[in-house]
Amino acid sequence: MPAREYDVLIVGSGHSGGMAANILTKQGLNCLMLNAGPESDFEHNRVSKPVYDLPYRGFGKPGRLPHVYQANEFNANQWVDETENPYTHDPANLYNWVRVRLVGGRSLFWARQSFRLSDFEFKAGDLEGNGQNWPISLADLDPYYSRVEEIFRVSGRKEGWPEFPDGNFIEPEYGPDSESIKRLAALGKERGMKFSKMRSSGGQNGLASSVNLLLPDAMATGKLEMVANAIVREVTTDKNTGLANGVHFVNRHSRQERHVKARAVVLAAGTLESTRLLLNSGIANSSGVLGRYLHDQIYGISVVSSVPEARDGKRPPGLMGGSAFIPRFRNLKKEEKRDFIKGYCVIISSGGGANPSLFAEYGEALQKKVDSYAGSCVSGSIFGERPPRYENHVRINKDVSDAWGIPALHIEVKDGDNERNMAKDASNTIEELFHAAGWEIVSNTPNFYPPGHSIHEVGTCRMGDNPKNSVLNKFNQSHDIKNLFVVDGASFVTCGWQNPTMTILSLSMRASEYLADQMKKRNIG
Amino acid sequence: MKRRGFVKTLIALPAAPALAEQQQQTTSPQTPVAQPPAGGRGGGTGGRFGQANIPKFELAQTEAVGEPAQRFFTAPQLAALRKLSEVLMPPMRGMPGALECGAPEFLDFPIGASPADRQATWRTGLDTLNARAKKQHNKAFADLDAAQADAVIRPLLAPVPWAYDLPKDPAMRFIAEAHRDIRTATQNSREYAAAGAASGRRGGFGGGGSYINPIDPIYKG
Repeated sequence: MPAREYDVLIVGSGHSGGMAANILTKQGLNCLMLNAGPESDFEHNRVSKPVYDLPYRGFGKPGRLPHVYQANEFNANQWVDETENPYTHDPANLYNWVRVRLVGGRSLFWARQSFRLSDFEFKAGDLEGNGQNWPISLADLDPYYSRVEEIFRVSGRKEGWPEFPDGNFIEPEYGPDSESIKRLAALGKERGMKFSKMRSSGGQNGLASSVNLLLPDAMATGKLEMVANAIVREVTTDKNTGLANGVHFVNRHSRQERHVKARAVVLAAGTLESTRLLLNSGIANSSGVLGRYLHDQIYGISVVSSVPEARDGKRPPGLMGGSAFIPRFRNLKKEEKRDFIKGYCVIISSGGGANPSLFAEYGEALQKKVDSYAGSCVSGSIFGERPPRYENHVRINKDVSDAWGIPALHIEVKDGDNERNMAKDASNTIEELFHAAGWEIVSNTPNFYPPGHSIHEVGTCRMGDNPKNSVLNKFNQSHDIKNLFVVDGASFVTCGWQNPTMTILSLSMRASEYLADQMKKRNIG
Repeated sequence: MKRRGFVKTLIALPAAPALAEQQQQTTSPQTPVAQPPAGGRGGGTGGRFGQANIPKFELAQTEAVGEPAQRFFTAPQLAALRKLSEVLMPPMRGMPGALECGAPEFLDFPIGASPADRQATWRTGLDTLNARAKKQHNKAFADLDAAQADAVIRPLLAPVPWAYDLPKDPAMRFIAEAHRDIRTATQNSREYAAAGAASGRRGGFGGGGSYINPIDPIYKG
């Protein structure tokens, strides 16, 4: 009996793959979803433990996850093991590729910060004069954002600011700001900074993942078949038509290789895995930009201040506590001339303490310092946008393969003056703001983590109208192979300062509806 | 939860042949069938292995018995580390210090299992403390009194605003790293948690968390 041919084959089960499955199955299409990893039953796999019962007292096994700064001894088992699935980079140019290979992917663990991109990002090329625009605008994506926000139960305060687009939000009742936040907000206003609140996905029962918000409905249609432990090695194409006709995949346990057929292929394996798959398949690269323009966001800059009247346990009621969110305020006007392009947001938190490492003391004297500053601190940190650059790219390293014999990626990304100047501006600006408030600066760190650390890696299959300088069209469809779509973060032209999840979900929804429509019209498949 | 359960049920479907295979194995005449212990609910015949028939023992954690064997640091290095731990993290506010929590002896284990550059930082750092103590006071670091130890350590102290940007000077870098790790090894110890609980503090400082077990036999995570 010949093997079944599916309508659509979806590679990956995170947010983008889950959304594709949700939309396509509801349109009546028979889908197969291949997941590289196993399913995790967290009700069974997760146990409460005191830190002293861990073999390394919370330090973690030395050298186990050198590129995953987010790893600790409690969560070490959730991340991809680099010895099984390696990648390479120049030792001088560190890249932290932070991966999860479970059913649900990284949607199981994300921070749930939920923002829209604005036209300051979609049309960044116009603002910056370099032509790096998306082929779509906020208006194109607005209806999809709204539907995604409803599914993910996004809460946030509506502001009416074009650089911080409102959405289909649940508006919680915020309590009054503390006096420290009010003081900063007044000073920030004089400096062109607008104070708002964090926007985040509530999901259901504290989880906003594809496994609880997207895949159940897809499974309920009876049109979705999911397979775990199936590592896709190659997208296959028809010799005569050049169209995608399926994939080769490897059983993660047995290493047996199999082929499955489909009328269309949707890649949703995460930015770099989808691109690795295309590079290993040798397809979809007539433009020569496949793997190019890899970028993410800078994290790590942090300024800590202390409010003198809140020290030594004497803080007056209402002075400390709470948080604020300041959306991008730099480079919103063409005439603004700085030594960097793009911008960053600032997250303010009031009422914390000072880390002991901030003081050159020890023993009792150190403890007195820590006690004195407890509850008196206001901190500011940023998410800043790295510019996409042609030279920041990935390619296949033919000398290194993973445990299943699939060639690994070599990642070549360097930060430039733009990142450094932006970081310097951020640390100076926040310090000056705290100083103007009359607070002591406890520390100021203009350093930032290596590329990749934000886990917001995007680009490498950028979308565009011109097939000569983009991999995908505005519907996430390959220019070269019309029945091939890439619906994860790989399609991004610019990442913005925002968490990309809402945009990835909205793009996947839009692309999937387009694909379903094209298949119904017999333009595809 | 219902939706989640539904997903799990359906995802489990493709695994059905594997489950069927396991069942065949357990009923095979060649496969020895485990007998439930006497008095178990299976009554000694026909009970199924892995059900409620096996008593569940309360087992001690390996870290709760014996003491760590010292494998990595030399005797002079360990003596210096003990002194450094005593000075940097003494008993305070009714809580035990680094020595009472066995922090230096414990650190021998993770440092000994660390990459070579981290091992070198610690070995060289402890040797440097001994060398400076010898030069300044003509004694080993372990034999210094509090004021003498302070004279060796204080010039090496520096604020560390960011964990990934330690001081460039090797001795200062070592002190920053050692200070952080001695504090962590102390506050994450069983002894510290017990003292915290006894004094009414919430479970001590190290506390606990949600630990994720290895997810399947091959997924190493």
